Amino acid sequence: MVTTNAPLRTENLSVVFNPDTETEVTAFRDISFELKSEEILAIVGPSGCGKSTLFNVIAGLQPATTGQVEVKNRQVADATGHVGYMLQKDMLLPWRTVIDNVCLGLEVQGLAKSVRRARAQELISAFGLAGFEQAKPGTLSGGMRQRVAFMRTLALDPDVILLDEPFSALDFQTRTLLQLEVMKIISEQKKSAVLVTHDIGEAVTMADRVLVLSRRPGTIKNLVEIDLSREDRDPVKLRKNDKFQYYFQALWEQLEL
Amino acid sequence: MLNFRVLLSQIGLAVVLLGLWEYLTAIGYLSASLYGVPSGIATRAWEMMLSGELWQHTWVTTVEAVIGFAIGSAMGSFVGLALWLHEPTARCLRPFIVAINGVPKIAFAPLIIVWFGIGMEAKIAIAAILTFIVSLITTYNGTLETDKDLLKLMRSLGASRVQTWLKVVVPAGTPWMLSALRLNVGFALIGAVVGEYISSQEGLGYVVYYSGVLYDLNGVWVGIFALMVVALLMDYLVTLFERMVRW
Ligand SMILES: Nc1ncnc2c1ncn2[C@@H]1O[C@H](COP(=O)(O)OP(=O)(O)OP(=O)(O)O)[C@@H](O)[C@H]1O
Ligand SMILES: [Mg+2]
Repeated sequence: MVTTNAPLRTENLSVVFNPDTETEVTAFRDISFELKSEEILAIVGPSGCGKSTLFNVIAGLQPATTGQVEVKNRQVADATGHVGYMLQKDMLLPWRTVIDNVCLGLEVQGLAKSVRRARAQELISAFGLAGFEQAKPGTLSGGMRQRVAFMRTLALDPDVILLDEPFSALDFQTRTLLQLEVMKIISEQKKSAVLVTHDIGEAVTMADRVLVLSRRPGTIKNLVEIDLSREDRDPVKLRKNDKFQYYFQALWEQLEL
Repeated sequence: MLNFRVLLSQIGLAVVLLGLWEYLTAIGYLSASLYGVPSGIATRAWEMMLSGELWQHTWVTTVEAVIGFAIGSAMGSFVGLALWLHEPTARCLRPFIVAINGVPKIAFAPLIIVWFGIGMEAKIAIAAILTFIVSLITTYNGTLETDKDLLKLMRSLGASRVQTWLKVVVPAGTPWMLSALRLNVGFALIGAVVGEYISSQEGLGYVVYYSGVLYDLNGVWVGIFALMVVALLMDYLVTLFERMVRW
């Protein structure tokens, strides 16, 4: 493999569930892509084409049937913890307070309590949740829960962040707000992110490039550059932008819904 | 306010039922010698209180049930939770646990009395075994119900199995553990009372059994009501514990 400074690269990845049995399912095939430094790469594709499975493989939670994953030029085999992974559901621990949920990964890594607290407090303030440190997740709104899940992912300061439909369960306003916040944080903290979404508008708004997957078994159909400046990317104003309309239309036609 | 109303209606219900019972006996519809009668029960209870035997018997049964409950529930909950840590062990033990659970555990009582003698130890052991099994199975099944995505989350954070156990499986299993405790109040009392039936000179099980042999139905009822009071008390203790550990 050529060595570049890509924070994440996959080569010929494929996953087959229950191979050589009647229930054999190929989730996806021949997925090769490179995530550039400080970019947001969106992945869109029909339901069941293997997007979550792809994330599981990248995060090291599940072996690939063929191919390999490299994170910062190091091959990922069984290891976990090398990327920040925000699962499709927020998965907050209901018995923990907000701040303790944010600290979860830091605890696992064995950081001292004072360090954990300081880091979590910083994030909580940055996301406007100051005052809710001691609240239990059950008392939070959907948007707040999602913010906490995102903070928990950021707390470990990973270079690469995987976001699996992080906003799909939110109402339009909350979603728009969170899209902005997440874009801002990712660019401020110089993270690179892969964003799985069903929402083409969201992909165009947030991503620098969009990877379109085919129906299962998922294969790469196309890779579309979204040529919009950071300033253009206001979720509301963007809707009137001709370029937005154009990309939206182009992606829509490629998606096999 | 609401609590007070509930309490009032509960007392009302008890008074009505006992009153009806007393009345039906007074008009000769129910036979006092076959069913006992509230006034007779009260008299009998009063006698036993004055002589101090009611306290003595209640105390013995309470101690047996509470100690058996504590030992059995604690060990059962711990083993049930810990089995999650090592799946091969859990899988190996499963048929044995299922087999033991399938047998009415009271069938072990004679063995235990042979091993532990006729003192309180044997009754404690019977109560402990009953509650151990209930806690073990309920709690272990609880750990298996842990949300798969939570486990996935912990792995993605790089957590070890022990870390996942401490931070996710144990807290997630707590409601199951608590529900087993509630069931165990009943099981611990069954254990103590059955042990006393089989061989004993004291305890509420002895009171019930011995009064029955003598056809002293009022005496049987005194034992039963005392057992109810003990059960309510233990249930209240479980409630207090629940408030401490529940999230
Ligand atoms: N453990 C498994 N065993 C067998 N098949 C599986 C397993 N996990 C996922 N699959 C199958 O693999 C395919 C891809 O699943 P995956 O969850 O990755 O899809 P997805 O693209 O994330 O879908 P969605 O957009 O609905 O979230 C599905 O058809 C699913 O049924
Ligand atoms: Mg998915």
